[in-house]
Amino acid sequence: MSLPQQREENLIGILKENFPNDIKGARTIRRSRADVIVAPEKIVDIATFIRDKLGFDHPIGVSAVDYNRESRFEIIYHLSSIKNREQRDIVLNLKESIPRNTAKATSLVNVWPGVENFERESYEMFGIQFDGHPRLEKLFLNDNWDGPPPMRKEIRFPTD
Amino acid sequence: MTTTEKPATSSALETVTQEEPGSQTMTLSVGPQHSGSGHMRLIVELDGDIIINAQPDPGYVHRGIEKIIEVRNIIRSIPVIERPSIIDASNLNHAWVRAIEELQGVETPARGQYLRCLLNEMNRIMSHLYWLSIYGVFLGHTTMFMWPLGDRELFIDLAESLTGARITYSYLVPGGVRRDLPPGFTEEAIKRTEYFEKRLDEYENIFFENPLFTSRAKGVGVLSKEKAIELGCTGPTLRGSGVDVDLRKDDPYAAYGELDFKVHTRPDGDSYSRAMVHMDEMRESSQLIRQILKKLPSGPIRRKAPIVVPRGEAYGRVESARGECSFYMVGEGGDKPYRARFITGSYRNLAAIPAVLKGVRLADMPTSWWSIDYWPVEADR
Repeated sequence: MSLPQQREENLIGILKENFPNDIKGARTIRRSRADVIVAPEKIVDIATFIRDKLGFDHPIGVSAVDYNRESRFEIIYHLSSIKNREQRDIVLNLKESIPRNTAKATSLVNVWPGVENFERESYEMFGIQFDGHPRLEKLFLNDNWDGPPPMRKEIRFPTD
Repeated sequence: MTTTEKPATSSALETVTQEEPGSQTMTLSVGPQHSGSGHMRLIVELDGDIIINAQPDPGYVHRGIEKIIEVRNIIRSIPVIERPSIIDASNLNHAWVRAIEELQGVETPARGQYLRCLLNEMNRIMSHLYWLSIYGVFLGHTTMFMWPLGDRELFIDLAESLTGARITYSYLVPGGVRRDLPPGFTEEAIKRTEYFEKRLDEYENIFFENPLFTSRAKGVGVLSKEKAIELGCTGPTLRGSGVDVDLRKDDPYAAYGELDFKVHTRPDGDSYSRAMVHMDEMRESSQLIRQILKKLPSGPIRRKAPIVVPRGEAYGRVESARGECSFYMVGEGGDKPYRARFITGSYRNLAAIPAVLKGVRLADMPTSWWSIDYWPVEADR
């Protein structure tokens, strides 16, 4: 019997081996959940590797988190696998950190076309620019919305 | 040709433009009134009556729920996170408590787990029935509109006797469920599911074998397996394209690991396949309800859980009626999450709309579009 988190550790091991300088951090959070933090400039290469070599062919979605006290945004690509049946339960979080004052990232639409709408939402809600995105426009917000990106932490909720 | 270059999010008045002389295509704005699109807009570009491009314009029912749940404690957020899909409330509720429990490390007692699955499966049927009745409306089939809505009451009554509410239950709480089974529930549920399965046969006879439906659904709105995977589609949309993905099997949660059920797929990826996956799933869920009640263990239904989101990250995911519903939760030790990302099945399936509608006749647009079971409120959140 393999160790409970053997599969997650194996995935992280392969990634570290192939990108020794670009993986900033990686850990197994718990069973079926793993985190990989990568250098933003290398994310396309690593994402392509994750899709083709590790079998994570099915994008779940993209989250952005505003860590305003640390002056950074974190962008998280949640990935799952259909190709590899034995790792269908795993959610791999591919993370990158970008500075809050120059919120620019590289789009991964060419790697996983399914992230298109999610990146658009991160653009309108957090003001993050995605280079190479085919249609960086508002998705849910009204066209005449000209306020600041509403999900940023400095935008307080009226009753808060 | 200038009309195709206009940004899709320009105002409705601008979008429905006078075409330039000699232009081959016409742009049509469908919605956002409930004109066969739900509360969203579809910007459809037509060549004759063939759709060559369809872009969804969602956001008309956006409520900023991700912001609201950042400022309320995790219990007060439960009624809020149910709102996006009130017809499937307990599944959304389940994703929420699963994320919280993952962070807290709280284990729900076995009876609580079974009761969660019980309400989840009832919700799956109710949600699919609601979907089916709207499908009937789209095809002008009044009987198919009335029957599913009527039969949905069978399960609404059951859910009311279990939880005290007809549709938004707030039944699942961190650590378990709020109430135990009322007396006489099991007998009533068995009676009703058996009756319901007979009704499903009648649905098949009157609707799913009816040329009114089959001629507009078979081979129409095809979404290939490869496309469905790379677009990140989920739920019945993905299973209708022949991919046997179901979180209840792949990442078993609550009591699903101990239950016996089948994941239904259809290989063709057309509107008919997606619709039939819904039908098969209703049968399976009906069977599951009886199975859960038979296997229901005794014991407590709830364990004490603190109203706190411990520092750390969690990813709670469940198979809701429209596919995977998940919460990515970042906690910092308070009674509310630092960030709770809400990704629903409809939001993910939004990407499938342009792919499905391309090449479809305008007259077949409602049937193709609705076969994705896209619920605008659930996507906008």
